[in-house]
Amino acid sequence: MTFPRSVDEALNDLAAAGPDAIPVAGATWVMRSPLRHEVMAPVYVALSGIEGFQRIDVTDEAVSIGPLATHDALAQKLPPNPDLKALKRASARSANPGVRRIATIGGNICTAAFAASDFAPALLSLDAQIEVRDKAGLEWLPVLAFLESRKSRELPWLVTRIIVPRTVRLSAHERLPMRKAGDYPCAIASVSIAVDDRGRIHDARIGVGAVEAAPRRWQNLEQALEGQPVDPALTETAARDLIADFTGRDAVDAPGWYRTSVLPVLLRRAFETIRTDYETRAS
Amino acid sequence: MNAVTDLASVVMDLPRRDAQDKLTGRTRYTIDNIGADMLHAVQVRSDVASARILEIDCSKALAMKGVRAIVTHADAPGLHGIGVADHPLFASDLIRYHGEPIAAIAADTLEIAHAAARAVLVRTELLPAVLTMAEALDEHAPLIHPDWQRYELLKEGAPRAGNVAWEAHVTRGDTDAAFARPDVTVVDDCFRVGRQSHVPFEPRCAIASYEDGRFHIQCSTQVPWTVRNVTAKVLGAAASRVRVTVPAVGGGFGLKFDCTIEPVAALLARKTGKTVSLCNSREEEFLSCLCRENAEVRIRSAVTPDGEIVGREATVLMDCGAYGGEQIFLSTMTAHTLGGNYRLGAVKLNSRAVYTNTPPNGAFRACNGVYNTFFLERHTDNICAAIGMDPMEFRKQNVLGDGDIGATGQVFQGDVLRPMLERMEAISAGAERRDPADGRLYGRATTVGTWFVFVGPSAATINLNADGSATLVTSGVEIGSGTMVQSLPQIVAGILGIHPADVIVKTADTDASGRDLGVGGGRTTVSIGSASKMAAEKIREQILEIASEMLQTPPSGLALRGGRVEIAGRPGSGMTIAAVVQRAEELFGPMSGTGNFTAPGVPSLPGCAAGHFIDAIDIPIFTVHDCEVAVDPDTGHVDVLSYRVVQDVGVAINPRAIRSQIQGGVTQGLGYALHENITIDEHGSMEQSGFEHYLLPLAQDVLPVEIVLHEGAPSIGPLGAKGAGEIPILNVGATIACAVARATGRPVAELPLTPPRVLEMIQGHAKALDFAHISPVWHANLARR
Amino acid sequence: MTIELTINGEVRTVTADPRTALLDVLRDSCRLTGAKAVCREGFCGACTVLVDGEAVPSCLRPIGMLDGRSIVTIEGLAHFETPNPVQQAFIDHDVVQCGMCFPGMVMTLTAFLETNPAPSRGEVKAALSGNICRCTGYERIVDAVLSIQDMRKVSGR
Ligand SMILES: Cc1cc2nc3c(=O)[nH]c(=O)nc-3n(C[C@H](O)[C@H](O)[C@H](O)COP(=O)(O)OP(=O)(O)OC[C@H]3O[C@@H](n4cnc5c(N)ncnc54)[C@H](O)[C@@H]3O)c2cc1C
Ligand code: FES
Ligand code: FES
Repeated sequence: MTFPRSVDEALNDLAAAGPDAIPVAGATWVMRSPLRHEVMAPVYVALSGIEGFQRIDVTDEAVSIGPLATHDALAQKLPPNPDLKALKRASARSANPGVRRIATIGGNICTAAFAASDFAPALLSLDAQIEVRDKAGLEWLPVLAFLESRKSRELPWLVTRIIVPRTVRLSAHERLPMRKAGDYPCAIASVSIAVDDRGRIHDARIGVGAVEAAPRRWQNLEQALEGQPVDPALTETAARDLIADFTGRDAVDAPGWYRTSVLPVLLRRAFETIRTDYETRAS
Repeated sequence: MNAVTDLASVVMDLPRRDAQDKLTGRTRYTIDNIGADMLHAVQVRSDVASARILEIDCSKALAMKGVRAIVTHADAPGLHGIGVADHPLFASDLIRYHGEPIAAIAADTLEIAHAAARAVLVRTELLPAVLTMAEALDEHAPLIHPDWQRYELLKEGAPRAGNVAWEAHVTRGDTDAAFARPDVTVVDDCFRVGRQSHVPFEPRCAIASYEDGRFHIQCSTQVPWTVRNVTAKVLGAAASRVRVTVPAVGGGFGLKFDCTIEPVAALLARKTGKTVSLCNSREEEFLSCLCRENAEVRIRSAVTPDGEIVGREATVLMDCGAYGGEQIFLSTMTAHTLGGNYRLGAVKLNSRAVYTNTPPNGAFRACNGVYNTFFLERHTDNICAAIGMDPMEFRKQNVLGDGDIGATGQVFQGDVLRPMLERMEAISAGAERRDPADGRLYGRATTVGTWFVFVGPSAATINLNADGSATLVTSGVEIGSGTMVQSLPQIVAGILGIHPADVIVKTADTDASGRDLGVGGGRTTVSIGSASKMAAEKIREQILEIASEMLQTPPSGLALRGGRVEIAGRPGSGMTIAAVVQRAEELFGPMSGTGNFTAPGVPSLPGCAAGHFIDAIDIPIFTVHDCEVAVDPDTGHVDVLSYRVVQDVGVAINPRAIRSQIQGGVTQGLGYALHENITIDEHGSMEQSGFEHYLLPLAQDVLPVEIVLHEGAPSIGPLGAKGAGEIPILNVGATIACAVARATGRPVAELPLTPPRVLEMIQGHAKALDFAHISPVWHANLARR
Repeated sequence: MTIELTINGEVRTVTADPRTALLDVLRDSCRLTGAKAVCREGFCGACTVLVDGEAVPSCLRPIGMLDGRSIVTIEGLAHFETPNPVQQAFIDHDVVQCGMCFPGMVMTLTAFLETNPAPSRGEVKAALSGNICRCTGYERIVDAVLSIQDMRKVSGR
């Protein structure tokens, strides 16, 4: 185990140990590798000593999040503004309190094998930018591009920062566990929209998680909602009309058809939250 | 002797004596006693469901540094079982399920043992696997036990054939005539349930040593005597050479009512001469869990327009997995559960325990009673719908009452269920309807249930100490339910007139106490309690006799109270019990008493029951459950809005502890009803191997259960008590299912009611069950010998 | 690797593979067996200890990352003869059954009440969503927590 103090040191440590080494953030995923019947990586490069990695900076323009910010820290530090609601809720509702105190946002979005991430759809809907460092230098990637690059990018690399831009928008995050809380959701919908003067949806961004193996945006629905009123029922109908866009993932926790069946319901619920916030803002 | 003991001196909300240590992390369960100073064992398990073993090569593993011994079938050739000895400790020529132990390794560390396990080479020839009961019953199905006819029978008289490990039949009256009556409505249903995993927080584990030519096994079990006997049987040793001791047990729920890994540890201890620990990992604990079995039923009833059940026929299939185990015994309980609750005209029941190439199942709190009650109560609601009768009225009219006969012809005593139903009706009528009126579908249901106390042999010894305290020695185990620290000392203390804190309760040690069937089946308070009561009463008599002479007062004029023998009506008079003990020592020595108990045996109608271990139930227990639910039509989530229980307890010795059992049991039932689900994949392995996929109820999933303890029903238990810990789970699946059926207007036929299953049902996509492998002709389902 | 950390107020040096879970160090090396290994995947909470005052699952904490940290386990929370108010409430309400989950429950709730001394029923339940109990059905645990009058006694450790 190494304890680099900087990103460069970390990349060096990772490069030096080659495939034997992995970066470790909250360790809540890597410590479970024996349960997944995976071999534990011989070398852990602990990122916790890297300056600024825990930091969360909130301004009117953007939220800058260090990759080691825990779910809990985010849930507490993020302001309650509607534009950030999706992220705040993803932070506060995923996993359980003990895990939220140690699991990090960076570890969450870097785990390519994890289909039910709450952060991935939330960040998709918020159009976040991911700062990635590797030996070639620094690169800013839109979330989707980052998520898609995870398995193919040449090692070593690190997520070093996450930027969530802020504008006047409304957002929401809806997840559906099988119990009331505590398990991985079987479907997740994150939504962020702008609303024009006439009360019409503009530039909707919808992130969908857990339904398929990888999270993604639902562009057809985003387009269908352009210019529409903020109407939960109408959104649900539109989502049902377009549901063929998804092929639900069959897994032990839920069959694929169920995930696609409930996804429109989650969109309705997300828009119920958004409508409430919209009405509050209007009055 | 009841009269001499004032019930008021026994009944109390005695708090648990073990709480402080449990809360401060000081209690050492078996798992906490595993340490570096012993060898660590792991089992090599099969990764296929069905195969012939061609060769087991341990040489590489044995050569590894730190590996101390490897054992296989050759070291333990004996077969054990319930009813039929069909189960080897390790697979010999055939592998019959995914995860079956093939060998076990003891090594200096767990890591070495695991590495050695990977180095054991098992060469196999794959055989076709029979993964479902439908496949197993196919006439061309391969035999899972080709040698079934040669197995030693431990109990005679049951039909068996091929993949049918056991059958229990009830035949009373002429059902053909009943179904042929022109005035009856015939209601025909199929139902199905999945497996439930116990998930005790302490997994099964054992620490064994071989001392002075005898085995000593410390283990996390509910049945020290079963561990002793099975270990002896499979190791070919005399039972007297096995000693079993049991510290606090971290949950059992029936899983630890069987002997599983203990003989393996013992075998390795003898082979190495060292202390050996063997502990299931959580994954192993799941994958080898002796679950509440999956089951299927076809049931039909002939009912008159005014709601009389004149005929009933049912065939239940119980999946025993690869070995018969508890399912063989439990086939008996269909008669008393599916055949229970209601007065029946003619009745025919067939309960078939079926072999499959899947992990063996076992006993889980109220066992098959839970799903038989689900089957019966849903069927009852379907009957009510078919004849247009109110379900509450139907139940009040038909529940068994005083003098009514049950399925096997046993005569029931006392009106219990009907007054309990009336109590529930009154409570529910007085409570506000909790329909959230938010677009979700609202439903409410009331169901009834019958369970029993598993009585049978127990022994107790009490030593009265010089300081006036008493030491109670039994084979009871404290698994969490509190009987060992609450009702037993309360009973003994009440009889001896001392405080329960002055009753020392010895933890189980088969070298110190007499034989016992174990802790389960709600039997501790009743069986061990009765033996303890008898032992205490013998001591009481001795005390009174000696004191009578010392105080020159006839025993009838004396009372035992507050650690003293007093002259009745004169508090503070007389002498301390300690003084009596001192006198006794002068006269004849230290005072002790022994007690024993066994099932008294209640008659059934001769010729009615075949293949049964219990033809009639000695102590029936009844319960009435009621719940309200809201079903989300969009997602299929079921929200339980209220839950009420009226439970027959005979006499509540520790009412608070009983309420705790009810809250906990109902919660496990909610898990069973709604989201606990074990499924078998195409390789024959369970798909849920941890907490990520096996969904236990969390704090947010439960609600406070409203509880009424119904006292006064007849019971042969000590002071009129009954077991209270098993039955709380009995009706939960049934009640939720009936409420969901009413909320959705859909015929709920399967548990658990996971959101996908409920949504499928609401959307009308759920296929009606109609089992091709259970013939509608009842006789056609009987094993042909 | 050698790690120096404080366990229940005592400075200790542990030599172990840094990837070893804190839970295993506590149970196997320190023989502090109060924290239980039940799921080893962050769901059950039976292994909960305080790391620098925060209640976290010790099964998911590699020991190598804890150099210089302060750990409090159930054994170090209070002397067993003077239980803390959470433990006392559980004794008074007779809520314990098999007991395996309780060390973790006590750790979680003690830390929780320090930050939220007057919680609602719903908040207590939400705080327990990572502490599973197979025996009790939770409600009486929640009743006991809500009965605790003097929260200062909890934080006055
Ligand atoms: C009980 C439980 C319940 C959970 N429930 C949910 C849930 O409901 N919703 C949800 O979204 N998640 C849930 N999670 C998942 C949890 O969020 C992840 O385990 C966690 O986010 C991983 O974060 P970590 O910091 O612990 O990562 P680690 O385990 O430290 O790392 C995870 C992976 O990411 C890599 N990595 C970490 N940081 C970086 C970095 N900066 N750059 C490059 N690679 C990196 C590591 O090498 C490793 O491969 C749950 C987890 C548990 C244990
Ligand atoms: S053992 Fe750590 S959370 Fe379950
Ligand atoms: S008391 Fe047994 S797990 Fe909670």
